[in-house]
Amino acid sequence: MSLTKRTLAYGAGLSFVVAGAWGAAFASDPAHQRHEAMETVQESFKPLRAIAVKETPFDAAVVKKTATTILEKLKEAHGLFPEGSGGGDSRAKAEIWSDRAGFDKAMKDAQAAAEATAVTAAEADYVAAMKALGGSCKACHDKYRLPKQ
Amino acid sequence: MRLPSRRTAAAIASVLAVAAVVFWRLTEPDPLPASAIPARTADIANGEVLYHAGSCFACHKAAKGAANPQLPSGGTPFKTPIGVFYPQNLTPDPETGLGLWSEVAFVTAMARGLAPDGRHYFPAFPYMAYRAMRMTDLLDLRAYVMSLPPVKAVHPPHTVPLLGLARRGVGLWKRIALARPPFNPGSDGSDAWKRGAYLVNAPGHCGECHTPKSWLMIEDLGRHLVGGPHPGGEGKVPSLRGLVTREKYEDASNLTLALQNGEELGYEDLSSGGMAAIQENLAKLPESDVRAIAEYLLSLK
Repeated sequence: MSLTKRTLAYGAGLSFVVAGAWGAAFASDPAHQRHEAMETVQESFKPLRAIAVKETPFDAAVVKKTATTILEKLKEAHGLFPEGSGGGDSRAKAEIWSDRAGFDKAMKDAQAAAEATAVTAAEADYVAAMKALGGSCKACHDKYRLPKQ
Repeated sequence: MRLPSRRTAAAIASVLAVAAVVFWRLTEPDPLPASAIPARTADIANGEVLYHAGSCFACHKAAKGAANPQLPSGGTPFKTPIGVFYPQNLTPDPETGLGLWSEVAFVTAMARGLAPDGRHYFPAFPYMAYRAMRMTDLLDLRAYVMSLPPVKAVHPPHTVPLLGLARRGVGLWKRIALARPPFNPGSDGSDAWKRGAYLVNAPGHCGECHTPKSWLMIEDLGRHLVGGPHPGGEGKVPSLRGLVTREKYEDASNLTLALQNGEELGYEDLSSGGMAAIQENLAKLPESDVRAIAEYLLSLK
């Protein structure tokens, strides 16, 4: 292999590694990932709210599917709050890390509420279950999330 | 260093003395006379509506560990850029609450920002907004808090540097800030709109957070309710203008539902920066009042 060819090969290899690392860094930015997960949670609330305010009829299957999506996304987001991932554009408050036990409990409460909503089979129990789920979001956001413009 | 001559020292002392007298005169309290209070029977139910409209409890809530956490016995630290305040006990305890406050003392506190002993209140207590409240509403509000069970609650002093001097100095700030006429919804618009405008700007004091303040800590009415930095120092307060065009809410019914239920129904913009506590208070208003607030807010383009 000539010197030029070797340089080219190394160069190509290096740029591949750099590009890969850059891409991985963006995709694995936990603040970005948890934001995406929470956006899905927020979107999922729309059909649940429509049922609660009787815009659409109660449908146990829709409730189960939607609340299960919320549960999965909450679990995913919960694992995306490593130490030092606040600041910048993130709305995460420093209390998440200074009061980790409190934050973990609030996240677990939300997951439990999503699980309870998912198994709501009777229309009579639905509004209370959904409000408890929304209330768990509220309790956590009140303490651990910054307001936005 | 050479000591100043006796004559220089005398000159400095007299300048300081004159400055002190001028400061003292300019910062003199201006309480309401007892004759300002009309003779009438208070409407406690209306007072309760105003208590919730003003979210009094959000700031005056009982300190951690209080025996009656639902009563406004105050003392929960209220952090501001100039220091930490411990809000007043609003229950009618004669020693630590409002038990011995006359009607004129209460109205003077709300409309003039003065304690019964004549000391100025810091504008962390939003009398800039409350002074736009109707006299009858102020008296009804007093009647409501006086109807609550008394709680004895002793709070630490505010941790503001040079507290005494700063407090007196608030008198200078008032000369500028209170020179502006109080909010007036005017005579145009529907009754609901006017009711909403009154609730938002007088008892509701929404502008305290949602309107940016000038360097003098006075609301910039040219940017009324456009949002800005959070007064607590972290994060930003959203604008209350263009709520429909910015696709935050569909219409007045939608915003009414959001204000009544907050994030329990998934309206996630109502849970951060202290808004959760405000929303919980607004949820206790009669539906017609919540709708009036919604109609007024949605008229802000």
